[in-house]
Amino acid sequence: MAQIFRPYADSVVRVVMIAILVLPFAIVGVAYGVMSSPYITGEHLTLEQPVPFSHEHHVGELGLDCRYCHSYVEKSAFAAVPPTHTCMTCHSQLFTNAELLAPVRKSFAERMPIKWTRVHRLPAYVYFDHSVHIANGVGCSTCHGHVDRMPLMQQTEPLTMAWCLSCHRNPAAHLRPPEEIYNMSWSPPDNQEQKGRNLIERYHIRVEHLSDCSVCHR
Amino acid sequence: MTFAPDRRDALKLLAMGATAALGACGRPEEEIVPYVEMPEGVTPGVPMQFATALPLSGYARGVLVTSYEGRPTRIEGNPRHPASLGACDIFAQAELMSLYTPDRAKAVAHEGGISSWVGFETALLSQMEIEKARQGSKLTILTGRVTSPTLARQIQALLNAIPAAQWRRYEPVHDDAEISGASMAFGRPLLAMPRLDQASIIVTLDADPLGPGPYQLAYANALGKRRLARKDAAQFARLYAIESCLTLTGANSDERLSLPPHLIRAVIIDIANRLGANLTQETLPENAQRFATAVFEDLRANPAHGVVLIGRGQPAEAHALGHWINRALGAPVDYFPPVDPIASAHVDSLRGLVQDIDNGRVESLFIIGCNPAYAAPGELAVGEAIAKVPFSVYHGLDDDETAALCNWRLPLSHMLESWSDLRAVNGVASIVQPLIRPLYDTRTAHQLVALMGGTLSASPYQLVRETWQSRAPGGSDASWRQWLHDGIINGTANAPVTPPNPTLPNIGPLEAPRGLSLAFAPDPSIWDGSFANNAWLQECPKPTTKEVWGNSIHISPSDAAANHLVAGDFVTVTLGEHSLEAPVDLVQGQASGVLGVTLGYGRRRVGAIGEGLGFDAYRLMPIETSWAAQDVELSRAAAQSPILRTQRSFHLAPERKDVYPTFTLVNLLKGEIDIPESPALPSLLPGWEYESYKWAMSIDNTLCIGCNACLIACQSENNVPVVGPVEVSMGREMHWLRIDAYYDDKPTPLGFQPVPCMHCETAPCEPVCPVEASVHDSEGLNVQVYNRCIGTRFCQSNCPYKVRRFNFFGYATDEAYANLDAQSFNALFNPDVTVRSRGVMEKCTYCVQRISRTRRAAEKEKRRITEGEVVTACQSACPTRAITFGDLNSEDSKVRDLRNEPQHYEMLGHLDTRPRTTYLANVKNPNAALQGNKS
Repeated sequence: MAQIFRPYADSVVRVVMIAILVLPFAIVGVAYGVMSSPYITGEHLTLEQPVPFSHEHHVGELGLDCRYCHSYVEKSAFAAVPPTHTCMTCHSQLFTNAELLAPVRKSFAERMPIKWTRVHRLPAYVYFDHSVHIANGVGCSTCHGHVDRMPLMQQTEPLTMAWCLSCHRNPAAHLRPPEEIYNMSWSPPDNQEQKGRNLIERYHIRVEHLSDCSVCHR
Repeated sequence: MTFAPDRRDALKLLAMGATAALGACGRPEEEIVPYVEMPEGVTPGVPMQFATALPLSGYARGVLVTSYEGRPTRIEGNPRHPASLGACDIFAQAELMSLYTPDRAKAVAHEGGISSWVGFETALLSQMEIEKARQGSKLTILTGRVTSPTLARQIQALLNAIPAAQWRRYEPVHDDAEISGASMAFGRPLLAMPRLDQASIIVTLDADPLGPGPYQLAYANALGKRRLARKDAAQFARLYAIESCLTLTGANSDERLSLPPHLIRAVIIDIANRLGANLTQETLPENAQRFATAVFEDLRANPAHGVVLIGRGQPAEAHALGHWINRALGAPVDYFPPVDPIASAHVDSLRGLVQDIDNGRVESLFIIGCNPAYAAPGELAVGEAIAKVPFSVYHGLDDDETAALCNWRLPLSHMLESWSDLRAVNGVASIVQPLIRPLYDTRTAHQLVALMGGTLSASPYQLVRETWQSRAPGGSDASWRQWLHDGIINGTANAPVTPPNPTLPNIGPLEAPRGLSLAFAPDPSIWDGSFANNAWLQECPKPTTKEVWGNSIHISPSDAAANHLVAGDFVTVTLGEHSLEAPVDLVQGQASGVLGVTLGYGRRRVGAIGEGLGFDAYRLMPIETSWAAQDVELSRAAAQSPILRTQRSFHLAPERKDVYPTFTLVNLLKGEIDIPESPALPSLLPGWEYESYKWAMSIDNTLCIGCNACLIACQSENNVPVVGPVEVSMGREMHWLRIDAYYDDKPTPLGFQPVPCMHCETAPCEPVCPVEASVHDSEGLNVQVYNRCIGTRFCQSNCPYKVRRFNFFGYATDEAYANLDAQSFNALFNPDVTVRSRGVMEKCTYCVQRISRTRRAAEKEKRRITEGEVVTACQSACPTRAITFGDLNSEDSKVRDLRNEPQHYEMLGHLDTRPRTTYLANVKNPNAALQGNKS
């Protein structure tokens, strides 16, 4: 009677057995990898904008304060993209004929808003508030990265819930004193842990509440 | 042609589908659209509140409207306004939905085709030339009740130019009997406003001050002050109700007697005679006699603190006698001259119009903001008359029954889109300011009247400013801004007048009706029918029967038994030549021999929501005695259909004390309060610590009058969807807050109980969720995480209070009922609250978005949230302040104080759920002399 199984059958069985053990973990691992990859989170993508506005030029070179344009960042949930009027405060005098700025002039003349493409995007069920983060010592560059070095705006952090929670669970590692909030080149000092703990006291941050679901979702 | 793909086509389709699915993986790009020019005072994302006023039957109720970047999303009461006092009724709150409804009249139409304002202007100007030539002798303007000084001034100016023209007004829910009763008693028309907060004994005779109406909030507020069952409750008033249909006032009364209207009249005469009126009187039935004696003894024991209120169902003589009784009692009543500029009776006004048309005296008819082809006694046949007018213009919000009969249909701007002004019952004027630019090509009544006078481009803003120019010192902007800010114009309240001694009317007993009587009332949910196309209100359960999406004929259980009827059986009711067929509902507390019907249903033309629901009671409405008809015939019809309710009744006798204990005032004062224990049971849940805030709610069942204001407030604030009648028939609803009504074997309900989420500390819903979508937060809120929820509904099964609601379909979005997924409704949503999708569980969140907003504001200022800073939507709407919300950890916590009241209890406390929402048991103040009264 002939052999039922060929010699390689053993190998097949071994591979299948290992696959049964490994594959579920691998699939979950890959899924996690994909979900946290820039493909999904949209990090480091440069999106097309109606006007190629350069933060590098305006912030890094000219030294404009964030709040000059994002004027509601301390008052509202939205930092707010500036109205066309804000652009025109300077550009009615500077580069008045620049081709790049044609959409701005058109918007101003025709009273039609410029439609920017959103770069930092949170899901609709997340209620993020800029002002309360500013008030509690979270600096701009912590979430938005080195905006002063970006010729075109990019997202530098994953903006996933895990990323949000990494700070909400341990805010001490990221908090800054109030005078450093808008400092683009701030980096944590050596004794950040100790300083962060002091800042939690100073800002009256209730850490136990920061990981409640109701903080961001409602 | 049949679709039979071969193998290749099938593969092609498969590949196409797969590609399409892949395409869906990427996130679509989103846009940010900033302003071009930032409007002054606007902070994106921070809502603003504007004070304005909204009319009900023409009378103003002051409101504060929340607006996000020019989009009104929420209406609340204006504390400065005398007809609101900070609370907001269901109609005012639901005006938002009326604003955004896509069924509104949007464009000018002429003879069924689309036209334009220019087209209308051309036609109007030539018509007005003709009218001017004959002094307007064939021109009539028909309006609802006009309290707007500007509109009244404009119409008056027009009438001065064409003096032979007629201005008539008709309000379906009118007060003809009240006004002519006052004329009879005092020789001049006056509106009586009892000061309920100064009355110890309140006797309502067919009257419903707590029921829906333009002064509901003020009455409820005043009564609430006198029914505060606290440790020191000596001031507690006693409320007697004698009525034929169960009203909200009756439902909240301490002693109630159901009597047919003619016997109520007899009781009024009886009370007057005991005060020395010496009128002819019939012998009252034994129970009514006993009741009247008890009422009289109480009134006599409280001189100057007793008041009687006569309802609109009683004739003018009875109202006049009521004034006489109140004078004899020294009752706390204010009398105001009517705000309404037209003195004639509403019914006479409308009847005059029909006669004029029939006699060919009307060739131009302008109907502004009212719908007489539907909302008027059927016998008048107003619709047929309107159709005969050669030049008829309808200017209204909806494309309704009257619009269909007119040559010209003009779209009216909603009050939230208009500049105008309005006055409250006591004369206080408010400026109506627009919250949004008109959504469609609509105009206000001011513009139409100006157009009739020949002004083509009138600005309503300028017209309103001109009216009030003389009041502002030097015409200053400062006072104008102050009025807009306050929502009222200071010093415009009419001073109460001191009327002469009322004359005793000539009133005697009526012959007892041979057959059944029929009593009419405005509907508690959709009023006179003008809110029929409002889905929030259609799904708002009627307070006592919990019926939704329709109306029914209310019949007493004894009459039903005599006619072998059960709830849902159709009957034919015939009055003279008119009859209608409708289902009956058995209502405990309905007087035997009286059928009760509400107006507003049976709309033939109004929009996708309101058409074809219920029956039209106007068809049977008599012209003379509008609110009551006698000798109607009842016969069984073949049809049968269940009454749609959000709540089914069931028997609860032994367990009632666990959910709804009730006490008497005597119990409370003597300390005989027996509240079931809440034992500490072992629990698997962690023992939570609440170091910062500890949110809790306390609801006083004594104060709750069941008016539904909180329910609509919650719906509006929290983007709670409407499910529609089919879903309701399957026992599904989405209201986060429901109001339970409790009855025992007596004709008076025990009371009402609003039931939001209890936010239990040991919440039964939390451990059963397999995905931790139902979780506890550090402030004690039991939160539902929509994005984790997979819809097992385990939490709903395990919730002993049944407050969780499941989205069986995408009620809020793609599978919404009727036209509720229309684009315009997107503007209705509160941007601070997630719109839930299909398959997700939801429930009351204690308005977590409001807590969060306040918390973030406090954190930015580095302080704690102060007591009273967080106000939930339900709390803000409540006219009696029955709902208190706050932090149990706060030093001056009102909620904690209420928890120390003797009648405080936890619903189903024996389960040891440790609810954060707790109750103060209902305390009634019955008359010991009437104990055992079972009429």
